[in-house]
Amino acid sequence: MTLQDLDIPRLRGLDLVPTSSDKQTARDYSSDQEVRWCPGCGDYAVLKAVQSFLPDLGLRRENIVFVSGIGCSSRFPYYLDTYGMHSIHGRAPSIATGIATAREDLSVWVVTGDGDALSIGGNHLVHALRRNVNMTILLFNNRIYGLTKGQYSPTSEAGKVTKSTPVGSIDHPFNPVSLALGAEATFVARTIDSDRKHLTSVLSAAAAHRGTALVEIYQNCPIFNDGAFDAVKDGDTKADAIVPLVHGEPIAFGTGGSKGLVRDSLTGGVKVALVAEVGIENVLVHDAHNSDPTMAFAISRLTDGGVLRQAPIGIFRQVERPTYDDQARAQVAATRAATAPDQTPEAQLAALLGGGDTWTVG
Amino acid sequence: MSTSETPVKQLDRVVIRFAGDSGDGMQLTGDRFTQESAVFGNDLVTLPNFPAEIRAPQGTLPGVSSFQVHVADHNILTPGDAPDVLVAMNPAALRANLADLRPGATIIVDTHEFTARNLQKAGYAADPLATLEEPGNALEAFQVHPVNLTGMTVEAVKEFGISRKDAARAKNMFALGLLSWLYGRPTEPTVTFLERRFAKAPAIRDANLTAFRAGWNFGETTETFAITYAVKPAPMQPGRYRNITGNLALAYGLVAAGVRSGLPVFLGSYPITPASDILHELSKHKALGVTTFQAEDEIAGVGSAIGASFAGALGVTTTSGPGVALKSEAIGLAVMTELPLVVVDVQRGGPSTGLPTKTEQSDLLQAMFGRNGDAPVPVIAPQSPGDCFDAAIEAARIAVTYRTPVMLLSDGYLANGSAPWRIPAVDGLPAIEPGFATGPNHTKADGTEEFWPYLRDDETLARPWAIPGTAGLEHRIGGLEKGDGHGDISYDPANHDLMTRTRAAKIARIADSLPPLVVDDPSGCSNVLVVGWGSTYGPIGAAVRQVRAAGGKVAQVHLRHLNPFPKDLGEILRSYDRVLVPEMNMGQLSLLLRGTYLVDAIGFNVVRGLPIKAAELADTIHELIDAASDTPSRREALR
Amino acid sequence: MTYVIAQPCVDVRDRACVDECPVDCIYQGERMLYIQPDECVDCGACEPVCPAEAIFYADDVPDEWTDYIAINAEVFDGLGQPGGAGNHGPLGADHPRIQALETEGAGA
Repeated sequence: MTLQDLDIPRLRGLDLVPTSSDKQTARDYSSDQEVRWCPGCGDYAVLKAVQSFLPDLGLRRENIVFVSGIGCSSRFPYYLDTYGMHSIHGRAPSIATGIATAREDLSVWVVTGDGDALSIGGNHLVHALRRNVNMTILLFNNRIYGLTKGQYSPTSEAGKVTKSTPVGSIDHPFNPVSLALGAEATFVARTIDSDRKHLTSVLSAAAAHRGTALVEIYQNCPIFNDGAFDAVKDGDTKADAIVPLVHGEPIAFGTGGSKGLVRDSLTGGVKVALVAEVGIENVLVHDAHNSDPTMAFAISRLTDGGVLRQAPIGIFRQVERPTYDDQARAQVAATRAATAPDQTPEAQLAALLGGGDTWTVG
Repeated sequence: MSTSETPVKQLDRVVIRFAGDSGDGMQLTGDRFTQESAVFGNDLVTLPNFPAEIRAPQGTLPGVSSFQVHVADHNILTPGDAPDVLVAMNPAALRANLADLRPGATIIVDTHEFTARNLQKAGYAADPLATLEEPGNALEAFQVHPVNLTGMTVEAVKEFGISRKDAARAKNMFALGLLSWLYGRPTEPTVTFLERRFAKAPAIRDANLTAFRAGWNFGETTETFAITYAVKPAPMQPGRYRNITGNLALAYGLVAAGVRSGLPVFLGSYPITPASDILHELSKHKALGVTTFQAEDEIAGVGSAIGASFAGALGVTTTSGPGVALKSEAIGLAVMTELPLVVVDVQRGGPSTGLPTKTEQSDLLQAMFGRNGDAPVPVIAPQSPGDCFDAAIEAARIAVTYRTPVMLLSDGYLANGSAPWRIPAVDGLPAIEPGFATGPNHTKADGTEEFWPYLRDDETLARPWAIPGTAGLEHRIGGLEKGDGHGDISYDPANHDLMTRTRAAKIARIADSLPPLVVDDPSGCSNVLVVGWGSTYGPIGAAVRQVRAAGGKVAQVHLRHLNPFPKDLGEILRSYDRVLVPEMNMGQLSLLLRGTYLVDAIGFNVVRGLPIKAAELADTIHELIDAASDTPSRREALR
Repeated sequence: MTYVIAQPCVDVRDRACVDECPVDCIYQGERMLYIQPDECVDCGACEPVCPAEAIFYADDVPDEWTDYIAINAEVFDGLGQPGGAGNHGPLGADHPRIQALETEGAGA
């Protein structure tokens, strides 16, 4: 059976999830558990944004599932009054894959961190992304190990001095967006914990996406890596640090939009230029819907692996591709329809057991 | 095909081994001979034995693949200790298998392959066939039939215009035809099979059919074989039968568990020898609501199954020992979250990569204890290929009823071996009741109702299974310790002690649902009890029969449930003077029995990657009987 | 829930909390600072740094200052969620009841 034979409807992210006509508020999504992150942790901001945003989806609360791994951010499901599982280190995407494949009527979310998703669970992350299972992954990137008290993470800058690297880390860090694009993820975005408006708009787009949506959230750890994202947060620096990605808009930034992205013929990638020198007509217009991830990848490289000074923020890529779970269900449905659809399961089972070469005694 | 004029000798049983290069199609040949015998009505047990390499260097000893089938006119339990007939397709196959044959055994060799180069690869300094007439030759103890199988096959199929290589490949069918004639097997099943298998390649189909018939006709016309043999059908319980391997039966059992529970089956699995066939088989049964997910690794396989269980499916993961090691943490999560999960471990020789294609029972302690923390998991094991069906249903019953992961320990011998299986009636299979939670189960002090995910059933101690989509039962579970009842995170010392004991008590309660053990002790006055589990059922049973036939008194009991043990096991063990525990490991069940019941379990431990030989075990049983008779009998005292 | 700034801040306005707040939801009035309750994410970073011990979790506001829960909220009536004190700048005003408070040393 080929993909073309399967009757896979074109769906949006939550099309098969039952909706609720009840008026919902953030309070409906808050569980009775006391939140236990450190004072000032960026996780609070994301939790608040998610609790405030979920009512807007208009779904039945019982049809939402949050799955997490291990780490500070992975406490998240306990604080939401939905179905949830706080699982084991790095494995949330695989558990969510089982949930999403078993049930079409659930809105499935994964909450993970840079250690959980990119170190111990790196394998599951890239495979979820390439399969395009219908789930939204919130990757809280604080560029440090928090729960184990301050070792460097796979996104920590090279040279970082931590408890386990007293003379500096010699690990080259991952760029999560580049990694996701390399795995041909169909939705890849980056946002910032403290920018509730942007965070919420990205979450909305991610929820509406059918397939695996990866949202990297720059999240400050005030205890072990305070100020890691100051460049994109401080009023004085953020205009020059944030490269805003808006589909259909020229990628211009800096005070008064003085800088823009242009193609770099030397590297085949993109570079920052002064708009006054190159002309606004030569500034790249962001195309998140480009089926070829090459340009999105080039843009993702603008975030260097060292101390953060500049970062593209927004939706890098948003394309349609059949999801793993929709296809798996379609194969089951098509096979059912083609094989004795009128028979009871018991009769089908009896036919199965009695198949092959048989003989009768007595 | 015509019947032979050659005299027929009646046999009550025969053990035939087909051996050749990995590429010679010996598994298929053996399987076809088995099917012919099954349709004929014999009882039979098979033992495939093949190298881990897909194509080891041609003609070498490591490249030898074999298939042994034991055919009888009576109920049998093992594939046979020593073959009566060896078909050797090359010198390596002869050399590798010679030591296993009984004296006087028949050997049919393909002379075409006895070239200088092949002899050298097999380590023969000289061609053993060249000296057959000389007294004291290496094959003197056997009846050797040198036959140019390849040459005659190529000659027979030349009319089809296929390549010489393809023509020569049909030699296994020539051999099958010859053996089918020699043992009076029905040929229709193989003809039908070949027509179906090569329907899209008419030339290959015709070549194989022709080779098969040519082999039969060769037997009839040659004077090499003075007599043919017949093995009458075995009396069996009335019913409809098929021949089945353990892996196929296990897959069917999982499908049946889905039907009988009304739950969709979700298999998350990563391919591994010798378990992959279960994944292959289940992927064919989408029409029965089975979803298979070939995961990126073993951990994702079990993770997805746990996710599917949380979502209300029957989550299953299939693997072998190394895969269980990788899944251990996730199985612990299923213990903690108390979700149904069936973990199938088709055991193979270990440790590490070990012997991927050979059998062993050495994962029992891993299944019991291979997790961090006190993480009790029920363990069950099938005793025969067909029993894999019932064991899979039982594993699902325990998993669903008690909301727990269950370890199902098959092994490589059961997985690939086959035996006749009486096809069960679907409505006679056990029903499994998921009993999803539908509403609140606890009332707060202020009178409002709420859902407590860890409030337990009084009888089974199982927690409620509330699946997403059920309004009002929203809850969070996870790997952190749970507060009793409400299920919120709790680090309270007394609570952890209580929950650890409760998890253990829940698994212990499973014993309440088990039937009493059946002790096979016809004399009623044996002093020696043989205790086994899993696939050693056949060899133990055969050994016990041999002992009894020689006048020895011995009792046998076989365990399906390894955790918890059946409630009457302790009493049974204590009522015998000697307890012998044969295992294909270094004494894992012995250790459990000693630790649990303080009995002096005596191990009989063989780890050769092959089933235990009944005759060797019988010798040990005799020795124990003799030793027991020298000391005062506990049974006498009890009586 | 939210954190709330109460009476001890009046005419103090130390601003240590403003530096600490990760979401920049503490706004400057003429006589005290105010927490925008919808923007506050309950992280608790502000509370321990206040030298005047003026900040409380809403549930824990001392009885004599519970009216500050409403005062913190009402000062944003008409402003909504400005989306960050740094961008917005000082409020330039106070809640009427703060405005009406007598200044220290002015006598009762």
